[in-house]
Amino acid sequence: MDRNQLTKWIKSPGNMGHKYSLDVVYFCTGCGIIEIPPSITARWDAERFGVKPVATPRQANLFLITGYVSVKTLKAVIRTYEQMQEPKFAVGFGSCPINGGMYWDSYNTVNHLDKYIPIDGWIAGCMPRPEAIFIAVTHLWTLIDKEIADGYKRYRDKYKYYRANQEKVLGELEWPPLFPEDDKK
Amino acid sequence: MIVLEMLILVILALAIGVFFLGLSRKIMSRIHWRYGPPITQPIIDIIKLFNQDSVSHGSLFNFGIILSLAGSIVMVFFLPMGAMCPMSSSGGMLVILYIMLLGPLGLALSGGEAANPNISIGISRKFILALSYEVPLLLIFLAVMTHYGTISIVEIVKIQSANLWSFASLPLLLSGIAYLLILPALLGERPFELIKAPQEISSGPMAEYGGKFLALATLQHAFHTFVGISLFVNLFLGGASNPGYFFLKMLVVFILLIFVNAVFPRFRIDQAIKYLWKWPTLLAFIGLIIVVIVD
Amino acid sequence: MNQELKKKINSSFPSAKISLPNESRVVIEVNRDAIISVLSFLKNMGYEHLSMVSCVDWIKEDEFELIYFLNAYMENDEEYGEIEKSTILLKTMISRKEAKYITAIGIFASAEPYEREIHELFGIYFEGHPRLTHLLLERDYEIPPFRKDFDTRKYVKEFYEEIPFVEDREEGKE
Repeated sequence: MDRNQLTKWIKSPGNMGHKYSLDVVYFCTGCGIIEIPPSITARWDAERFGVKPVATPRQANLFLITGYVSVKTLKAVIRTYEQMQEPKFAVGFGSCPINGGMYWDSYNTVNHLDKYIPIDGWIAGCMPRPEAIFIAVTHLWTLIDKEIADGYKRYRDKYKYYRANQEKVLGELEWPPLFPEDDKK
Repeated sequence: MIVLEMLILVILALAIGVFFLGLSRKIMSRIHWRYGPPITQPIIDIIKLFNQDSVSHGSLFNFGIILSLAGSIVMVFFLPMGAMCPMSSSGGMLVILYIMLLGPLGLALSGGEAANPNISIGISRKFILALSYEVPLLLIFLAVMTHYGTISIVEIVKIQSANLWSFASLPLLLSGIAYLLILPALLGERPFELIKAPQEISSGPMAEYGGKFLALATLQHAFHTFVGISLFVNLFLGGASNPGYFFLKMLVVFILLIFVNAVFPRFRIDQAIKYLWKWPTLLAFIGLIIVVIVD
Repeated sequence: MNQELKKKINSSFPSAKISLPNESRVVIEVNRDAIISVLSFLKNMGYEHLSMVSCVDWIKEDEFELIYFLNAYMENDEEYGEIEKSTILLKTMISRKEAKYITAIGIFASAEPYEREIHELFGIYFEGHPRLTHLLLERDYEIPPFRKDFDTRKYVKEFYEEIPFVEDREEGKE
């Protein structure tokens, strides 16, 4: 830890905390889960970056969606994302959440995940190697440093539109809105 | 004066507990052939968690976790650490036996409000486990009390410094071994990790904790680790005259604990009861009989 | 022994067309009215396990083909000989326009999820089925998506691509 970092720690401990302690909830929808075990075990060891898998979305602040998202999965993705506590960051892993990947012409695959929940970063590739996760993590550090990783703020501001998009695909949603309209005023 | 001593003791206990959390993660990863997180990782985690939003499920949800943390902090006052023993003149071991249940009780109160099925499973496991380790613990305490003829831990430490450590003297050796056997269950470490069991019941009682609640739960775990090991050092390893020496003794016990934690898989709850009511209870009971016969 | 099986079925159901593509497989084709009686007949013979119900859309013939896969798991090998080794494929054709059929739950309770799935993906209505609700999908489709005349690319373009990005939507309104 050099002097530069120390001043940062003193100035904004919260920001630095979010940076160096990313508790991940892995959402394993497709083939992406194959890349997760090597990245958290002895070969690549994600824990040295402070990246640690946790059991429930309540404890997590990084959401990694690995693999294609079908309509049914989208429901679970939204619920998981809404259960996480702010500040929270979402990262799409693999080309499927980006634009549907090789399943783009399926009747049941949601093509662009960022139409439904805000995504802070993408890891492109089919499949990305575990190293790509670490590049993404270090990139996310700079984003958090510059306060560009503001997906949760965008979600709060434009919740109306996100919810409208979600309802367009899923029909009537079973859960009440996370940010009701009256609260804003 | 006593308030100052208390404050120092709490800060020391917190520092040692959090250091132990970091150390356990580091040693565990070295055993797994990983590089591991920096040893300051739990501090970063706690800072982050305090800066995160948290959702509450009601007043009892908030109260329970604070009760649990308070129970663990209060126990620190009753345990002498080196020469510091602010409250240990009163109550001693009996108080510790009582307060030890506050931790699980607080978590249970808190979890009851959240109505998450994983929490109920975790809580029920926690109480069953508490029921299982309280029996040998009571027998161990009885043996120690009978041998030294006092319930005050300060007295016990004083007698030990004049004579042998009780772990090294024959009448209490079996009780000491029994305490070492139940120590993982007391702290919820690996062979008895079934309370949290992240892969199985998504971290049990902590399933609904996020942000500040999780930070408080982590602190509670840190204090609890300190108390469990400090009790062993005081009762069986002769305490210490200064905090540094005391810390060294704790470190040895804790590293032993991590090694067990790193190699063993998890017991099922029925296996845990079977184990706890068989070997530690048997050893503690024989130890008690030996103490009664010898004295 | 497959020849014996063929004889047995032929004696009871003369209209059934039976072919033996290989040793472990018996293909029986019956018309749509006979299927329930054939199923119960085979169940009494010892083929007690309905492992799958499948469906094929023959769009040129304007017909759906339903295929019932039957296996036998016998406890006593000597009693039944080598009957359990063969899989029976029971096929029937139903009209595409009037996609209606009778449920097989009365004979095989395990047909329930398969019939639900076929109803969902091919739009075949099974009379007497207790709950023909969604099994795999979350949405209703105008044409059931596994039918051959369902154009997935067109659907994707018309539906998923039409949903606007949230950022664009904001700019468009203001």
